[in-house]
Amino acid sequence: MMDDRQDLVLQVNGTRRRVTAEGSDTLLTVLRDQLGLTGAKRGCNQGVCGSCTVEVDGWPVRGCLSLASACEGHEVVTIEGTGRDPVMAVLQRQFVERGAVQCGFCTTGMLISARRLLADEPRPDAEAVQAALSGNICRCTGYRKIVDAVLAAAEELAR
Amino acid sequence: MTGPRLVRPDTLAAALAVLADEPEARCLAGGATLVAMMNAGLAEPTVLVALDGIPDLRGITVAGDGRVRIGAMTRHRETASDARLAGGHAVVRQAASVIANAVVRNMGTMGGSIAFSDPAADYPPALVAADAEIELAALAGTRRLAARDFFVDWYTTAIEPGEMVTAIHLPPAGPQPSLYRKHARTSGDFAIASLALVLDGDGARVAVGACGPVPLRLDTAEQALAGRLRDPGAIAEAAALLVEASDPVDDVRGSADYRRRLIPRLLQAAISELLDTREAA
Repeated sequence: MMDDRQDLVLQVNGTRRRVTAEGSDTLLTVLRDQLGLTGAKRGCNQGVCGSCTVEVDGWPVRGCLSLASACEGHEVVTIEGTGRDPVMAVLQRQFVERGAVQCGFCTTGMLISARRLLADEPRPDAEAVQAALSGNICRCTGYRKIVDAVLAAAEELAR
Repeated sequence: MTGPRLVRPDTLAAALAVLADEPEARCLAGGATLVAMMNAGLAEPTVLVALDGIPDLRGITVAGDGRVRIGAMTRHRETASDARLAGGHAVVRQAASVIANAVVRNMGTMGGSIAFSDPAADYPPALVAADAEIELAALAGTRRLAARDFFVDWYTTAIEPGEMVTAIHLPPAGPQPSLYRKHARTSGDFAIASLALVLDGDGARVAVGACGPVPLRLDTAEQALAGRLRDPGAIAEAAALLVEASDPVDDVRGSADYRRRLIPRLLQAAISELLDTREAA
């Protein structure tokens, strides 16, 4: 029986990374267990909770529903790769200042989804924020402070 | 067993050759369903054919005569945001816009969704009401099937071994309005019941979702509505026919009885809304 592990080259946060993955390994598994990028969380592993949200080719996707082997040739960005993005910096500060983070498990997914929303729609209303974050589940905050933080970030960025 | 071998052809012919050679091969579209099933141990494919490198499968084209071709790998996001899907085609755009959530809509594809044929999914009733045709390709050739004939049973389609969905075709629709409505526990959940409605002349085409193994469309119900869209008696008659022909199940989202009760309400609301839309236009 041949070894089914495959050598892959992934483009992650602007850097070429070599990994060795099984055919059923998801992008989330490789990011967390091989590359040490633990910002994306493993919650449900079914694509429901949103805590594994990362960007592929600029669009937020579920890390747990993306096979690592299918991500070759695509550009992956995790929360760790957004450190120089001024929009993300404002979002993060507003999340902290408005108490939108409690346990923090959902936070990186919320931020990735929120960043995409502000790129598409710089001045969203609360309803648009709720719709954009509807695929990210938070079990702590009741969402109000998260929505407020995104709206405040949008307002600050528009100034 | 450490999981499937992934191949990523860059032409349709190469993908079809793999499907012909390896009966166990499965197509990988957006992954939103297949990878979730793999994670849960419910699917253990040995060969996956990733379709994202095949340009022919991507995107939406609208011909001069109003025909629409939607490539099987077109993401829900693209379909949901394409303003050309208007009038009688809006039903398909609206169905795309209420699938799951924005992140999943960046992944999932129309071909992948209909190939899975979840009875509570959003595209099946919309495509049946839109009189869509499903394009299937195999090494031996390509064929087209009416959406009504493509959905065969619970999670079962007319796709034969060695075949794959390559595109969805919509006939010219004109400016008559259409809509897709689903009743769900929460935004983005699967439907408890859903309804796709396309105004057509002085009548309407109707398909009900999540109330049986496949989208429910009835000639008798549409005959009852023809020329009588403003007649509450006609709507009640059509609804009763649909309820009678429905075959819903009890599940975590709702009871079969509740689903049967939703059908007349969805139909009444959809007809009122579209007649208002048409008058306002």
